[in-house]
Amino acid sequence: MERTIQLTLAPGVLTDRAAPSAGLTERLRAAAGGDHEAFGQLYADYVRMVHAILLARVPSCDVDDLVQDVFLTAFRRLGSLRDPAAFGGWLAAIARNRATDYLRRSRREVNLPRALPGGQQIESDTLDALDALRKLPDAYRETLSMRLVEGMSGADIAERTGMTPASVRVNLHRGMKLLRELLGWNDHE
Amino acid sequence: MSEDYLWDPSAPVDPEVQRLEHLLGRLRSVPPAPSLPERVRWSSRLGRPAALLAAAAAVLLVVAIGWRGVHAPERMSPWQVTSLEGRPRVGLAAVVPETRFAVGQTLVTDSVSRARISAEAVGQIVVDPDSRVRLIATRDGHHRLALDRGTLHAFIVAPPGQFQIDTRSATAVDLGCAYTLHMADDGNGLLSVEAGWVGFEWHGRESFVPAGASCRTSPISGPGSPRYDDAGNDFKEALDEVDAAPASPGRERAFRLVLQRARRRDAVTLWHLLSRVQPSERDEVFKALAALVPPPAGVTHDLVARLDRTALDPWWDALGLGDASFWRRWERPLPSGPAPR
Repeated sequence: MERTIQLTLAPGVLTDRAAPSAGLTERLRAAAGGDHEAFGQLYADYVRMVHAILLARVPSCDVDDLVQDVFLTAFRRLGSLRDPAAFGGWLAAIARNRATDYLRRSRREVNLPRALPGGQQIESDTLDALDALRKLPDAYRETLSMRLVEGMSGADIAERTGMTPASVRVNLHRGMKLLRELLGWNDHE
Repeated sequence: MSEDYLWDPSAPVDPEVQRLEHLLGRLRSVPPAPSLPERVRWSSRLGRPAALLAAAAAVLLVVAIGWRGVHAPERMSPWQVTSLEGRPRVGLAAVVPETRFAVGQTLVTDSVSRARISAEAVGQIVVDPDSRVRLIATRDGHHRLALDRGTLHAFIVAPPGQFQIDTRSATAVDLGCAYTLHMADDGNGLLSVEAGWVGFEWHGRESFVPAGASCRTSPISGPGSPRYDDAGNDFKEALDEVDAAPASPGRERAFRLVLQRARRRDAVTLWHLLSRVQPSERDEVFKALAALVPPPAGVTHDLVARLDRTALDPWWDALGLGDASFWRRWERPLPSGPAPR
């Protein structure tokens, strides 16, 4: 039996979402009807957001598998999505719940592994930066992960997550300030 | 610190943010899209008309399920995974004895683990370390895996054409055989056939690879020309260049070398080249192939120049590798796979 997804919004998410584009609504309708191509387009549009949210929480070697789990869950439950404009936030909530579920069930150490899927080694300075990023409050680490890992612009982040541009800007700015402090980069500001 | 750059990566660079981008950007990854279950949703709040149709369909479904419940056993994936070494995983769970492998699931081996995927009526696949395999579809007469990366060894007993493996740059269609398939992270791969035949296909470009031969594939050009493993290294390297780089400076020399060094059994390679070289080069391939295996009666230069199947198939039959109708019989439009990256 499938667990009920709890739709919890990250701090900073306001409710005055912009109307969804006609393209998104159409893709969601097609995907909810079982159209794999439409869902593939949704995957392409949102995979960076989901990857960023998971990477901010779970070991990098398992992120790719969890990304697939999240999208499979979304595909199965797409019929329960009432508001197309909420898709980004809804998908992000699935990703957060999946990460929480993973951490609760995993008996493995959740220390950062030194290798990516495929065996590629992670350099120590990258590990240090990721370790610091993961110590930030949820809203900051997710937003900064999207910006610094995935290369998304602030506008992209706002569009995908459903956050207002102002919230994204605040998260980026405050998160970056905290990240600098954690990394000992205090000579700016 | 420039807040503009933090907001907009096209703004003037902030060195501190850029340094973090450089460090953390190494973790960027776009995993392959998951295999979605082949089904139709029965309800959707996003589409009222669809929901009405779904209600009617649901009634029929209940009747059908009841009928099947009486007259047919529940259908489950016939595939099972067994750990051969280390701790392979299906999804995020470690493989335990008789782990079932269902459509949409992913088998992952790390650097020290190996696993076997098997289905009694289909065959078995041994998955080497550092590999990732997904089950895309399985039903009567059709079984399909995807090798995202790594190496697998397939021993297939299902009838020809029923078992396929998708990769990022080609689909391997089993034609009754044993083979090894390797796929690198960059989408380049190698198929080596130990017994029987394998068809290697990508967007209409096909290679038919016999036992004792191998075939490379790349995300740019798809499957290359098959070559026997006992061919000389110079022949194989030249063939790689002909297949991969139609405009490279060394291609002309490589093309000549392939034609000159081809042995009688390398006729299978030249036969594939007929349809892959430029029309201006086809005449030279025709002559080289004719010198090894004379074209049968009715196979004319003009017909071959036009790549007419009524000429290519009889010439294939003359190679001594069996009848072209064998693999033409199993040849069919393959379901579309992932786009080349």
